[in-house]
Amino acid sequence: MAKILYIEDIQDNITFVEKVVKSRGHEFLFAKNAEAGLELAFASQPDLILLDLGLPDADGQTLSVWLRGNPTLATTPIIVLTAWTEEVARQTVNAYNLNGYLCKPFSLKQLVDIIDSVLGKQPT
Amino acid sequence: MTVEIIPADRFTLQELTDLYNQTRVDYLVPMPMSADRLGEYVHDFDVDLHQSCVARTADGEVLGLSMLGIRGKIAWITRLGVLPISRRTGAGSALMDSMLKNADTLGAKEIHLEVIKNNEPAYKLFLSKGFVETGNYLVMRHAPRPLTAPLHDEIIWLDFDGAMEKLKSYPVHLTWINAIASMQNSPNTEGLHIKLPNGASGWLVYRNTKFTLRSTLSHLIIHTEQGNPDEVGRQLLSQLHTQYPHHDTYAENIHEDDPHLSAFQALGYFTNFSRIEMRRK
Repeated sequence: MAKILYIEDIQDNITFVEKVVKSRGHEFLFAKNAEAGLELAFASQPDLILLDLGLPDADGQTLSVWLRGNPTLATTPIIVLTAWTEEVARQTVNAYNLNGYLCKPFSLKQLVDIIDSVLGKQPT
Repeated sequence: MTVEIIPADRFTLQELTDLYNQTRVDYLVPMPMSADRLGEYVHDFDVDLHQSCVARTADGEVLGLSMLGIRGKIAWITRLGVLPISRRTGAGSALMDSMLKNADTLGAKEIHLEVIKNNEPAYKLFLSKGFVETGNYLVMRHAPRPLTAPLHDEIIWLDFDGAMEKLKSYPVHLTWINAIASMQNSPNTEGLHIKLPNGASGWLVYRNTKFTLRSTLSHLIIHTEQGNPDEVGRQLLSQLHTQYPHHDTYAENIHEDDPHLSAFQALGYFTNFSRIEMRRK
């Protein structure tokens, strides 16, 4: 079981991802803005962070810089879940040294596959 | 449906923020705001909340909002949005009509706005209200990365006053958010001037937001005084990112024909989206 933190401001998205994550037996944490997400990441030391790029108080890109800048979180995998286009998501992941992306809307299977892939399990 | 228009200053910043975020929940470009961020936006871009509007039904159900900035004879329409469930009810058109009326009452001779490229409903609405395209602009991003530009003898880092002095000599049109008044409104405006051994020279003015979760470099404006803009732009950006290696950076509203565009791209900037500036006289 892994500890997964989702930083996202839209409740419908949180609810969907929570169901998927918990159905796979993982622990689920969430924060609705960048500041709370940063604090929770430091406090909980998750195994994986799912990150929305459009947050109310700071951009997800900027938050990822803060996360990466902390030694205890520098290597924590970060997957971007975003409404940006595929091209922007891909460039963002490359430029900010993140671990993967899914463009919204995404399917349950896509989410499960990318989580399993990053956590080192075989996709179902 | 009867749409009522009421001044936005009857709402708190938090209420306006919540409404704005709801109007953008399915937007092409996800750009939610916090109340702090919206407050900063109102201040920096001279948004007049009394002249800005909220649309609602006769029953008091809010439908959308729009904001109006005013600087002398020029007005700026921004943050126009209608809740997804309330679109195609005439709320957007009613908000635009109120903005145009308020701008006219305030004596504006010209009204500016920007629309995100491919936002066809908004673009068509603006065309129908008499706006015409005046330019295409890019919003670009640059992730922090280790960079060591060679030290140069003739680099001068500019404080707020020095940066504003340079900006006042800028010969090219700037969109509202990068205009002199916007940069003047931010205490974080600073810059640098460079002179290269071959005689080329230029400056870069930017905002440096420090010590917060939003520690970023933004609102970049580059001017080449002499020489090749690509070379001057690369040197300026290299010095900037060497000085601030940990800052996330976004460059908003860089004109698609800006002669420094190649320099941005060479330094690793990539385009997030494009905006179209439109004006109505």
